Amino acid sequence: MDAMQQVVSLLEQTLDLNGRAASFTADTQLLGALPELNSMAVLALITGLEERLGIMVDDDEIDGRVFATVGSLTDFVRSKLAP
Amino acid sequence: MLKPVPPEAFFLDLPLAEGRGTARRFALLHPPQGGHRRGAVLYVHPLAEELNCSRRIAAQQARALARDGWAVLQLDLYGCGDSAGDFGDATWDQWVDDVLAGAEWLRQRVSLPAAAPLCLWGLRAGALLCAEAARRAPRPCHLLFWAPSVSGKVALHQFLRLRATAEMMSSGAKGVMGRLRQELDQGRPVEVAGYMVSATLASGLELATLSPPGAGSLPACLDWFELRMPEPGQATGAPPALRPWQDAGFETAFHLVDGPAFWQTPEFAAAPALIEQTVAALSRHGAP
Repeated sequence: MDAMQQVVSLLEQTLDLNGRAASFTADTQLLGALPELNSMAVLALITGLEERLGIMVDDDEIDGRVFATVGSLTDFVRSKLAP
Repeated sequence: MLKPVPPEAFFLDLPLAEGRGTARRFALLHPPQGGHRRGAVLYVHPLAEELNCSRRIAAQQARALARDGWAVLQLDLYGCGDSAGDFGDATWDQWVDDVLAGAEWLRQRVSLPAAAPLCLWGLRAGALLCAEAARRAPRPCHLLFWAPSVSGKVALHQFLRLRATAEMMSSGAKGVMGRLRQELDQGRPVEVAGYMVSATLASGLELATLSPPGAGSLPACLDWFELRMPEPGQATGAPPALRPWQDAGFETAFHLVDGPAFWQTPEFAAAPALIEQTVAALSRHGAP
C-alpha cells in the first residue's frame, strides 16, 4: 500500500466515513471541510499514523497545513517514511 | 426461564483522601442472572471524553456478563461521569483507592464465595488503574484489559495533544505542548478538551505502568483484548507489554478481535465480536 492509500484507509477507519474515502483524491480538503475531523479525530489520526506506520510525529509538527488536504497529509507521511 | 433482574443505579459513599471525609460515586450494579454465581467484575472506565464515548459498549458488555452469571459493577471514579467532585480535583491515587474500595464493596455485596474470582476490567487508561489496584489489592484479582494504555507517560502525552490539535484548528499548535508541560511542572493545572487536569493528576498518570503485581497475587489470569478493523497487513502478534505478565506467573491470553476504536468516536459503534469473546474468555475463569 502506498502512502496515499495508507492515509485514505486510515481516514476511512478513524472517521468512520462509510466508504466515502474511496472517492478521495490528493486535492480533497480535510481540515474545516470534513465535519468528522474534530480535535479528537485529528488526535486519533496522528496516533493511528504513528502506530500503523511506525513513525513519530513531533508535537511541533501538529500543524493545520499538514491536515489541509489528503495530498498535504500524504506528503507529510512520505517525508516521515523517507530514509 | 427466570425473569431478568434489572441493573440497579445508585450512589456509593466512598472515602476521599485522608481527612476529607467521603463523597458519592455513581454506581451501576448488574446482578448475575439465572441463579449463576460465577464471580464479580468491576469495570474501570477510561478518562475524560473516552468515558462518554465508551459508555454504551461498556453497558452492553456488563449486561452480557450478567446474563452469563457474573455480578458486574460499573463505577464512575471521583470527579468523573455522574460522581461527585470535579475532574480538576481528582488525583491518580484517589482513583486507585476508588477501584480498591469498589472491588471490596462488590465482594461483600454479592457475598462472593472464596473460590469465585474477582475480576478488574479496564479500558484504555482504566487498565492502568486496574494494574495498580491489583498490585495493592489484599487478594489476587483476575484482569481483563481492553485496548489498554501500555504506559501512563504515553496516555498523558496523547491527552495533552488533544489541546494541541484543538489549537491547531484555530491558530497554530507550535509550542503548545511545551507550554502545557511547563505549567504542570510548575504545579499549575491545565485545561484540555474542557477538562481541568491538576499537576498532581498529571504526575500520577505519568508514572503509571502496566506492570504486573508480585507473586503474592497469584494464581491469577490476564485476558488482553485489542480491536482492529479487518484489513490485511496489520500486526497480529501479542504486544510486548504482555510478556512481563507471563513472566510474573499470570495465565495470559491475547485476543485480537474485529471492531472499531469505539472510545474515540461519539457516534454509535457496535462491537459484537468483542462482547461475545469477552464473555467466552471470562467464563473459563468463573466458578462453575
